[in-house]
Amino acid sequence: MLNGDLELIRRLADAALASLEANRERIDDLNVYPVPDGDTGTNLTMTVRSVVDAVDSTSAANRHSLARDVTRGALMGARGNSGVIFSQIVRGAADVLGTVDASTIDSDATARALRGATDAAYRAVRRPVEGTMLSVIRELAEEAEAQTAHGGPPVQELLRLLVRRGEEAVARTPEQLQILRDAGVVDAGGAGLLELVRGVAAAVRGEPLPEAPAPTDGIGFEAVHQELSRYRYCTVFVIEGDDLDRTALESALERIGDSLLVVGDPTAVKVHVHTDDPGAALSIGTQAGTIDRIEIANMHEQTQQREQRLLAAVPDTPPATCGIVAVVAGEGNRRLFESLAAPVGPIGIVEGGQTMNPSTADLLRAVQSTDAEQVVVLPNNSNVLLAAEHAAANADRTVEVVATTSIPAGMAALLAFDGTRSAAENAAEMREAIAAIATGEVTTASRDVELDGVSIRKGQWLGLADDRPVSAADGFEDVALAVVDRLVEGSRALLTVLVGADAPPLEALLDALGRAHPDLEVDVQHGGQPHYALLLSAE
Amino acid sequence: MNLTNANTAIVLDSTADFPDAQQQHANWRVVPLYVNFGTESYTDGVELTASEFYDRLRAANETPTTSQPTPADFAAVYEELAGYERILSIHLASNLSGTYQSALTAAQDLGDGRVRVIDSESASVAITLLALAIQRRLDRGTTDEEIDTLVRHYLETHGLLFTVDTLEFLARGGRIGKAKAFAGQLMHVKPILSIRGGEVIPLKRVRGNRKAIQEFVRALDTQTEDTPALRVGIAHADAPERMRQLEKMVRDLRPQAQIEFETSLGAVIGAHAGPGTVGFFWFTDDEQQSVRSDL
Repeated sequence: MLNGDLELIRRLADAALASLEANRERIDDLNVYPVPDGDTGTNLTMTVRSVVDAVDSTSAANRHSLARDVTRGALMGARGNSGVIFSQIVRGAADVLGTVDASTIDSDATARALRGATDAAYRAVRRPVEGTMLSVIRELAEEAEAQTAHGGPPVQELLRLLVRRGEEAVARTPEQLQILRDAGVVDAGGAGLLELVRGVAAAVRGEPLPEAPAPTDGIGFEAVHQELSRYRYCTVFVIEGDDLDRTALESALERIGDSLLVVGDPTAVKVHVHTDDPGAALSIGTQAGTIDRIEIANMHEQTQQREQRLLAAVPDTPPATCGIVAVVAGEGNRRLFESLAAPVGPIGIVEGGQTMNPSTADLLRAVQSTDAEQVVVLPNNSNVLLAAEHAAANADRTVEVVATTSIPAGMAALLAFDGTRSAAENAAEMREAIAAIATGEVTTASRDVELDGVSIRKGQWLGLADDRPVSAADGFEDVALAVVDRLVEGSRALLTVLVGADAPPLEALLDALGRAHPDLEVDVQHGGQPHYALLLSAE
Repeated sequence: MNLTNANTAIVLDSTADFPDAQQQHANWRVVPLYVNFGTESYTDGVELTASEFYDRLRAANETPTTSQPTPADFAAVYEELAGYERILSIHLASNLSGTYQSALTAAQDLGDGRVRVIDSESASVAITLLALAIQRRLDRGTTDEEIDTLVRHYLETHGLLFTVDTLEFLARGGRIGKAKAFAGQLMHVKPILSIRGGEVIPLKRVRGNRKAIQEFVRALDTQTEDTPALRVGIAHADAPERMRQLEKMVRDLRPQAQIEFETSLGAVIGAHAGPGTVGFFWFTDDEQQSVRSDL
């Protein structure tokens, strides 16, 4: 009997997951309540995936233990508010279905499972709010109960009716919750739940999944219009123990954050809290038991990423005329280049630098795969300039080379970039921008040498400003300060410090810099470049 | 008709960021917009001052929204000014807000042609600088025609630059326009923005607050001369130290200029631009030239 069950439940769980995954990004974009962390679709998907994994790996011998494994899979994998509430929906349904004796699950059992799911979900939330996933599961239970009150339709037909009722319930959420109405969206958790039901219904009926709407369909630009959480970190973990007291945990956690959910049983609870102090939340957990499956997400970053996606949906940016190819060393620098270019035009990064010069062919390939009619190449190293010029001469499109000789110079050029202008216009703006900055480096000397009157011993720190040696000494801070002093001569407002892969600690240097140049804004970024402990620029 | 400060009133809305207008000029009035936190609504600059607003914004876990004054709000003020023969009602860019439309509706309902509603196509201190230029003419006596010429000249030549800490607030309020392309998260990228024809326009990107302020001053350097006719205004959203920095640089560069107006961005503009915003406004008001072009 269980073999048939297992096969069926695996098929249904796979279908539910596939349906949700097809809609994941759209649901992320709907997410404005309780906080717009833009991750509801992702969290639900991860949670359902954990259920699928549990079903795939279960060794349960009967329905009762299968239900227990599914419940545990959902609880352990639950991510985010929506995931935790969903885990309780699973639990409530599994508790009912685990005790069904009949050989197949019929409409009556479905109705009772939905009622169990609804009750469990409402119990999990301290202050239930209508217009959310809760209202959707409740309406599904009500529909199923109404349909089966006097001997209902077969389960295939019931599921069809449930999808329809679910659609209505989701569509009604903005009437129930002001913030959804303001944002012009439906509830993300409710929408996710509907997709799960839709997937199950399609599988039971033997129909293909309906095609998911495109991610930005039906999302107003107003969806950006929402509140930000007061707290920065979404913190989720599991506590395992012998006699866990949910109420005590709730009151301890309530003091450090909001969006609190504590669900589970005395042997395992899942905690979800938004807080500025994830460490404190974890300590509360370790005092009660052992903690596991810790996930901490910076919600402000998630919100920013979603804002970028929503902004990308606003159709007022003309396609870029001009793109960028930049030669960059260091994964941090690569990220910075991409972030500077991304809002204004396409960029292709070619790995390379001081000791790893890309070939003309590498550069040509990058130029020709740029999604723009014209390209500006930033070689960012004097040894790459020639290859860049060759690539430009042989390319199938208009290419300008702006002769940047360092990573910071390349960044200054990129700041002046605007993809809607021609390569020639961009190159002119960029040349002006790099003329206005001073650049320098701190590295270690590779041999004994005397340069420009500075005598340098192998292994010493060596500081250069605009490619000329400024200082060589054993003290890192002294050398770095000497370079900065040279760079900020004249009126400089901003010092950029790109920290290399093997740079020493910077605290002492930054303290000294603050004292020596109190008016200077200092922007320290992880560059990750090899060879140069510091790359510097002043503007 | 000879227009003077005795027979002509000036009506601003609260987005001109001049809450004391009536205390300083007997013939001026300010009609407030509304700022809403959740279901609570406040009149901008009256029930909710700029500093109260920023305190609340820092503490609140909610995003404020704003709404324009109703035509009835304008009608009430126009009626209160019954003793004046002419009312010049100067407002926030009609592309950015329905405020202008409310004022126009109220003026048309009055039906006596007494009220002339002017679209500043701009915001904040730019509105106040225009009103002050009009007031200087009212002080010596002027005409509708001279005012028309001044307004045209003002719209074409006044300078407005601003920078925000994040484009998030403009985006949320749907007022980001072409500036959306300038969103940049890493490396303290600050957009230098302007408003032209009622649209937010991105001009360039710089890094850091000091560079942004240097950029303002550079624009002043290339676009103006040092004369007493140069009028400058500065506004800030909860960033007084940035305003002081800018003021000092303006005094060094243009010692003859009159820094005519310094203010805090009120709740409505603050809600749409966000804390940390600094606005910079200038206008060379050569009265002789304006009179000549009228002849």
